[in-house]
Amino acid sequence: MTQQRTGTVLDQIIEGVREDLEARRAVVSLQQLQRTARAQAPALDAERALRGSEPSSVQVLSEVKRSSPSKGALADIADPAELAAAYERGGASAISVLTEKRRFGGSLTDLDAVRQAVTIPVLRKDFTVDEYQIWEARAHGADMVLLIVAALDDPTLRRFLGLTHELGMHALVETHTPEEIQRAVAVGARIIGVNTRNLKTLDVDVDTFGRLAEQIPADAVIIAESGVSGEDQIKLYAGHGANAVLTGEVLVTSDDPSRTIARFREVGAAARVDFLAGKKPPAAQAEFAAEQLADDAAAPASGGRSLKNAPGPYFGDFGGRWMPESLVAALDELTEVFDKARTDDEFAEEFQRLSRDYSGRPSLLTEAKRFGEAIGARVFLKREDLNHTGSHKINNVLGQALLAKRMGKNRLIAETGAGQHGVATATAAALFGMECCVYMGEEDTRRQALNVARMQLLGAEVVPVSHGSATLKDAINEALRDWVASVDTTHYLLGTAAGPHPFPAMVRYFHEQIGEEARAQILEQAGRLPDAVTACVGGGSNAIGIFHGFLDDPEVELYGNEAGGDGVGTGRHAATITLGRPGVLHGAKTFLMQDTDGQTIESHSISAGLDYPAVGPEHSHLHAIGRVKYEAITDTQAMDAFKLLSRTEGIIPAIESSHALAGARELAARWVQELGPETAAEKIIVVSLSGRGDKDVATAAEWFDLLPENSHEEQVGQKGEEL
Amino acid sequence: MSAPESVRPGVGGLAERILPRDLTRNPDSKLAARIAQCKAEGRPALVGYLPAGYPTVAESVDAAVALGQNGADIIEIGIPYSDPVMDGTVIQNATTLALANGVRVADAFTVVRAVSERTDAVPVVMTYWNPVLQTGVDEFSRRLLEAGGAGIITPDLIPDEAGDWFEASQKYGLDRIFLVAPSTTRERMDMTVKASSGFVYAVSIMGVTGARDQVSSAAEDVVARAREAGAQNVCVGLGVSNRGHVEEIGAYADGVIVGTALVRALGEGGADAVGLLASELSGRR
Repeated sequence: MTQQRTGTVLDQIIEGVREDLEARRAVVSLQQLQRTARAQAPALDAERALRGSEPSSVQVLSEVKRSSPSKGALADIADPAELAAAYERGGASAISVLTEKRRFGGSLTDLDAVRQAVTIPVLRKDFTVDEYQIWEARAHGADMVLLIVAALDDPTLRRFLGLTHELGMHALVETHTPEEIQRAVAVGARIIGVNTRNLKTLDVDVDTFGRLAEQIPADAVIIAESGVSGEDQIKLYAGHGANAVLTGEVLVTSDDPSRTIARFREVGAAARVDFLAGKKPPAAQAEFAAEQLADDAAAPASGGRSLKNAPGPYFGDFGGRWMPESLVAALDELTEVFDKARTDDEFAEEFQRLSRDYSGRPSLLTEAKRFGEAIGARVFLKREDLNHTGSHKINNVLGQALLAKRMGKNRLIAETGAGQHGVATATAAALFGMECCVYMGEEDTRRQALNVARMQLLGAEVVPVSHGSATLKDAINEALRDWVASVDTTHYLLGTAAGPHPFPAMVRYFHEQIGEEARAQILEQAGRLPDAVTACVGGGSNAIGIFHGFLDDPEVELYGNEAGGDGVGTGRHAATITLGRPGVLHGAKTFLMQDTDGQTIESHSISAGLDYPAVGPEHSHLHAIGRVKYEAITDTQAMDAFKLLSRTEGIIPAIESSHALAGARELAARWVQELGPETAAEKIIVVSLSGRGDKDVATAAEWFDLLPENSHEEQVGQKGEEL
Repeated sequence: MSAPESVRPGVGGLAERILPRDLTRNPDSKLAARIAQCKAEGRPALVGYLPAGYPTVAESVDAAVALGQNGADIIEIGIPYSDPVMDGTVIQNATTLALANGVRVADAFTVVRAVSERTDAVPVVMTYWNPVLQTGVDEFSRRLLEAGGAGIITPDLIPDEAGDWFEASQKYGLDRIFLVAPSTTRERMDMTVKASSGFVYAVSIMGVTGARDQVSSAAEDVVARAREAGAQNVCVGLGVSNRGHVEEIGAYADGVIVGTALVRALGEGGADAVGLLASELSGRR
């Protein structure tokens, strides 16, 4: 008798497993299996894969599971290989394949298919009760088997583990109690699983994990099993020292398993850093239980899944890397350097120090009382206009310049529309002693002549681009052409949350502080979350930065205000999401303004910074899932808001940001009409005031007809030029 | 011919992760057949590029036919695009003019059909991806085949994003010509070569299109690395402008791609000038 009765559901399962096993043995003898097993390529090192190369990392052991006794059929997995490959793409460190047929619907055929599809270690997950199964696992290319301590007596456990190691494989030795942990350790288990599912009741109690995990010696790899329904459990397990987490159901039923895995690794690593720093999370369990109650009461808009920290390359159907092969190596390098930097304390410290001591962060949150009274709701301005160089752009520029330094690249190139990103890039280049070249549409160099001079004063070369429509999109084309030829020495410092991966996720990352600060500030100043947040959207970097802080607060409405130009009915606008359709431009699949042939249509806006015919892919996704509403604001609406803020608050906003102010005004007007003025007056809107308007004074003076008739200034203004 | 064998290896690497499991090299590739014929004749294939609709659709038909009748083995018909990030000034100016003159995606099929019907050259399309995406990948492929086209060269589509194209190219028996560059890593080289059929397009320099006095020595290295990864046919482009280049590159590559020099000739001297340059490049003159 190699097994012991457990008095649980295991007994029945094992009965079936034995019958099936005997049937297979009658067809394929042990000797045959042994021959096949010996002919296999050596097993991959599962222990190393699950431990990870970084001590602070958390690995995901992703499971291909068709059904389970506790939940029944989970998902119709048409192609386990495809699912496993998606897991691998998402960053899974190993794949677990259920091969038990009766309860879990698995098979060795599934194992074979997965083995063919992935290059990472594969666990054959079955109820191992006979040495035959261990040979069988190896013969089918598995690198790891499951040994359940509860089902095996000590001599058998020791023997099975010995055979597993002899065949070059590793065993996941699964435990449920402190006694089982002691037994696992005593027989020399190197990978110990803690299953939080009670075998008797089949209930999961995630709180048992911390208590059990602390009894496992530090040199063993600790795997947390069961109970993962989202990031909270990952945080909990990693916070209690799990090296890896086994998860299946949440992935099988997810519509984007790769993304889920990537997220799990990210939140897991953050929690594990705390664990390694000695911060035991005593409150975490209580906090988690409380959160679960709250979550049950009010499921977030996303259906329970966090929308924050989306890692790319895809955001739902959008994003990706639609780029020439010549640039892929550079994008890969950038992705790698960025991924390392974001988990590197030294990088975080340097970025924070610069943000604080150089840019002047945190930026203020100012209640605009007179402006609010004028529009009928309370308005708070997130003052990115007060940052060094006068807009939010500096956040991203400092972050990327630091990355360029890490890559040993000493030349920065950038595109600019209004000139704010060009000025910010030239500023960073001066600060870091780097060479800088800014591409700018010829049309824009005329509209923003003062910013051209600023860039030149900062030591940058400004190259006017006369191809195509001679605006922002053509400047990006030209910068990409430069980059193709100079990629060894040059970093392309893309200024918005668009373009190929990793730019959308990376640029957002550097702007997330806008939203984080705003959320904390409004809670402190108003004592509650706002009812809405508005931000202007061209490429959408300030918007994605401020939205990010509120994405998981379903009660906060988010509005992206696109440039409606002369009006969305006129054809002269930049309302990409409102009127465009999905396509590919500048490396990303996203909403575009294009004709039926896929030719980009020129955009129009009084604001050079919003004059872009595409939009960041994450915005396309947030639009598609309905989390953010995108509304067009005409030039006239924007300029009226520009004037109103100037006169009521003594703050001259950038024309870009004026679109968000106008968006707030529209929203307040709707509230007044629908809820009545008294209720509307209690509502709170946070507006992203992304930049200051000094650069726009000439355009505004012309717009409001403030210049003396026939004066030199008027003639200059009529040409759209900067004074 | 026996059933085509999947190009996907048993286990391992980027190829395994990115390429569909049923992907095969095009067994009936017209491009591969033409290049094999050139090899048998002891010379590299001459591959010429011209944009559809430059300066007008009718003149671009004449120019492409002249190119095919004067020694080009393969003709790339470019689809003018509003945001051509891989093109230098000469081709940008030509395609911008073509767009200003009203060229449409459908016109490319007219030029392809003319090459297919009136010359011995094998026509393919070279296009940025969004025009294909907006036409519909399947629909575009169907119409290309119907016009007599053999495949698509995709300067801004990497195999990583080519799921629909793998499907359509196999359905219609079209060749997938992906680019590889001096910066392409070994793993990506392996994957991209496996993803391609007909030939692999080796970018000889890090830069955009444009005639150059000298062709970079990086080209030979890229070709060697592509062959190491299993490429049967490798053609070299970017920077080729005279017969000397053709001979120099033909010594190690299976085909030599000429673009900017032909476009410039067309702009300066019309279809006749294209014919003259083609016969010079092919060594007929």
